[in-house]
Amino acid sequence: MEKDLVRQSLSQHGPSLLSLLKSEQHEHAGFKQLLGDLSKWPQYRKERNAENPELQQFIARKADLLFATSWKSNSQEKSEMQEVAQGSYAVMPPLEQFMEVPSAQKRELFFRDAERGDIVIGRITCIREFGFFLELLCMGSGILRDIKDLKINALCPVRDVPSQSSHGDPLSYYQTGDLIQAAVKDIDRFHEKLTLSLHKSALPTHQSFIKLGVISTDDMPEYYRQSLVLSDNLNTFEKILRQSLAFSNPSSVDILLSKLGIDESNPPSLIRGLQRENFRDQDYAPFLRKKQSSSWALKCVKHGVDYFKVGRHVDAMNEYNKALEIDDKNVEALVARGALYATKGSLNKAINDFEIALENCPNHRNARKYLCQTLVERGGQLEEEDKLLNAESYYSKVLTLDETFTEAEEALSKLRQRMQKSLEKREEQDEKEEKVKEKKIETSAEKLRKLLKEEKRKKKHKQGSSSSSSSGSSSDTSSSDSHKKQKKKKRRRKLSESSSRSKKSLSNDPSHHKEECYSPPANTSASFLNHKSEVPKMLKEHDRLGHRRASAARDRSLSSSSFEIMERIRGRSEDSIDSLSSTKTQASSSRTCSEASAGKYKSSRRDSTDLYKTEERHRNSSLDHLEEGRKSSRKSDLNLSKHVSADSKERRSSGNTSGLYKTHSQGNTSRACTDEQRIVESDKAQNGSAAATKCMSGDLLNILTQIADFEKEKGTKLKNK
Amino acid sequence: MDTCNVPGSNKDVKTHFKVSRFIIEAGVKLGMHSVPIATACTVYHKFFKETSLEKYDPYLVAMSAIYLAGKVEEQHLRTRDIINVCHRYQNPGHEPLEVDSKFWELRDSIVHCELLMLRMLNFRVSFQHPHKYLLHYLISLNNWMNRHSWERTPIATAAWALLRDSYHGDLCLRHEPQHIAVAVLYFALQCYGIEVPSNNNAETSWWQVFSEDVTELTINNIISDLINIYTMDTEIA
Repeated sequence: MEKDLVRQSLSQHGPSLLSLLKSEQHEHAGFKQLLGDLSKWPQYRKERNAENPELQQFIARKADLLFATSWKSNSQEKSEMQEVAQGSYAVMPPLEQFMEVPSAQKRELFFRDAERGDIVIGRITCIREFGFFLELLCMGSGILRDIKDLKINALCPVRDVPSQSSHGDPLSYYQTGDLIQAAVKDIDRFHEKLTLSLHKSALPTHQSFIKLGVISTDDMPEYYRQSLVLSDNLNTFEKILRQSLAFSNPSSVDILLSKLGIDESNPPSLIRGLQRENFRDQDYAPFLRKKQSSSWALKCVKHGVDYFKVGRHVDAMNEYNKALEIDDKNVEALVARGALYATKGSLNKAINDFEIALENCPNHRNARKYLCQTLVERGGQLEEEDKLLNAESYYSKVLTLDETFTEAEEALSKLRQRMQKSLEKREEQDEKEEKVKEKKIETSAEKLRKLLKEEKRKKKHKQGSSSSSSSGSSSDTSSSDSHKKQKKKKRRRKLSESSSRSKKSLSNDPSHHKEECYSPPANTSASFLNHKSEVPKMLKEHDRLGHRRASAARDRSLSSSSFEIMERIRGRSEDSIDSLSSTKTQASSSRTCSEASAGKYKSSRRDSTDLYKTEERHRNSSLDHLEEGRKSSRKSDLNLSKHVSADSKERRSSGNTSGLYKTHSQGNTSRACTDEQRIVESDKAQNGSAAATKCMSGDLLNILTQIADFEKEKGTKLKNK
Repeated sequence: MDTCNVPGSNKDVKTHFKVSRFIIEAGVKLGMHSVPIATACTVYHKFFKETSLEKYDPYLVAMSAIYLAGKVEEQHLRTRDIINVCHRYQNPGHEPLEVDSKFWELRDSIVHCELLMLRMLNFRVSFQHPHKYLLHYLISLNNWMNRHSWERTPIATAAWALLRDSYHGDLCLRHEPQHIAVAVLYFALQCYGIEVPSNNNAETSWWQVFSEDVTELTINNIISDLINIYTMDTEIA
């Protein structure tokens, strides 16, 4: 029982309360202690209200609660409370303003109650060399009183005015009439003198954020504004309160409760049965709910286990899930579900459940056992998948859970042996690889260069292609290239006829083409591959056609001149294709080709024949047309380059070549030309869908023109020789 | 005193006291704030002002009142918690109810009763409580009183306790919320022997500032009503 409180109450209510207290609280241990002290000070107030025995009886009965120390501690917290946001509760004008307390008393009470560290707001009335005087308007903190008409003057000495950097004299910064917020530094209650300070150090620590110094009228406290409104326009407390928007703020109750230091989680009551100590924790709602949930969940688990025993796994799972929905930390449900997962083979889910169960109940024997078993099983799985490190971590996890789990130990030692072996193996392999690498080092530089070139080319294609497929665009460029080449070719022929330089240009040519026609390896761009997959299909059909005709032409060409063949082909092509002019031009171009090739070339064209043969073979045999196309183009390139390199040799051995070869070569070249023609024709015929085909034909054209070029040049060279 | 308004005998008052006590205790255990508890009690008292104890089970009405109050004051409570806490109150030491058909029947009856109460009260279940008034009065008083005597004396706590306890009876129906708030504050100040400074010299006494139409007689009536509640508490216990 709080002595001060009892004394205060007694001084108000007089000796009758004391006697009542003695009779009511004689059993209270704290009161007995107090009793000795109480008898010493019977200084009761003289002017007491009419005694109210009912009230005194009540006080006496409830004295142990009313004067309990626990209540007192509550109200002390509020002094530490920080300012709350505006609008959270209704700020009212000061009570004394409504009560119309005489100014003298207000002034007296102000000097009685004001304290060091309080914030006051006032206007500067005069500035002297030793400081400036304020006439106080209102309070900024602490007791929010109505002091605006009390003419309270306060001195703010110069030493308590922080100097502003730009002004030598700190006082020159201030002017008469400025609104100043200052902290009370000293208070002389007897002489009613206040000393203020503008230094932050004068503020209590929990209010050190408040700005001292000049403020504007907007910074005036809310209560002061309300007070001004009230003095202009008299209104009742109740009306102002009810008109205030903040009064209807539903959260105002909570805010004010905390401001006043009342704890709602342990609400006060003067009824003995409602004291907190009479309530047991297990009677509170959260506890009961938890208890109920866990028993409910257990019931579900039981059902689930029953289902599980009968083999109705889905129903069992439903029950377990329901149990966990009711009580998400139910260990039994987690273990049961984990076991079900494990039997169903979802080892990871099972492990997860067991782990959560163990987290919540670290001593759960079954959870631990099952977890260990499942971990070992999962480790075994991982081992089979060759994820040895993961498996190892699973095994070692088991051992951290249960050192005596021999199964895991065995598995772990086995695994470590296996890992050792595999490590050794890998080392061997690495060594081998290193050796191989060493060998390859010489060639790798070349490879790198090739790769780089390829990369560049691909980039170009990518840039070129927008909405159309990459294959289409790439083929477009190559086909246009080939057209150019055709023109070039004519020019070149003229040149090469006179100059030996042509050989050089030729030898450059195929290598150049090699870059262009080199299709990317399958593993670099799958998309490219897919796009192209349609192309060979089309190509296949054309090829077949072309090939049949070409072979027929070849048969004939063996005996007849290429000129005739050209004529025939032309005729046939005219039959099959509507546009006469296009075929004509094509035919003429092919004629020039065949003319050139059918000239007096006597060079050993076996290579080129081989080339065509292989190409043909590829076209016929290979089912994977893309693959085939790529291969053939690569091969042709290869052959071309080989051809070039073998050039000099062949030239030397040209004398050995037979006439048969000659005709062969003639026939083949012409066939090549027909092929080319066919493709070009079909291109023109199928303008719409031919974009893709064009690409292939472009590729082919490239190759073919190259070959033709080469042969021509060869021929000219031979001639020159 | 206005007790003559209350229908029924002293026995009924006692029953209502018990049931109100049940509401408040359950409210505390449910973590309800003071205002929802006050609403629940008001709903309960108002309901039995319209009807009699013979017709309805007061405890079921109380449970529904708690449930309804949670909705009205936007502190939603789950029926399961309400049933658990109330069941525990009636059967101390027993295990919580199994969640079975009996449980769901009980839950249904609470919901049905809630609807019945709403209709009985003509859907007027939103009340002006003294709580907000009291808190604002306390803040105003705090500024006018000496800081030390305020800090020393748990006026706010005592007043809050008195206000909460007042719901054991039907004071809330018979008096204006402002009057109750003023009376509770007056009572608390009296208990601690504290006087509002300069009250005797002021033009208007503090309670009249807070509520214009309150008289000392009303205040004393409310105080004696409050004291009656505490007397009944000892009688029943």
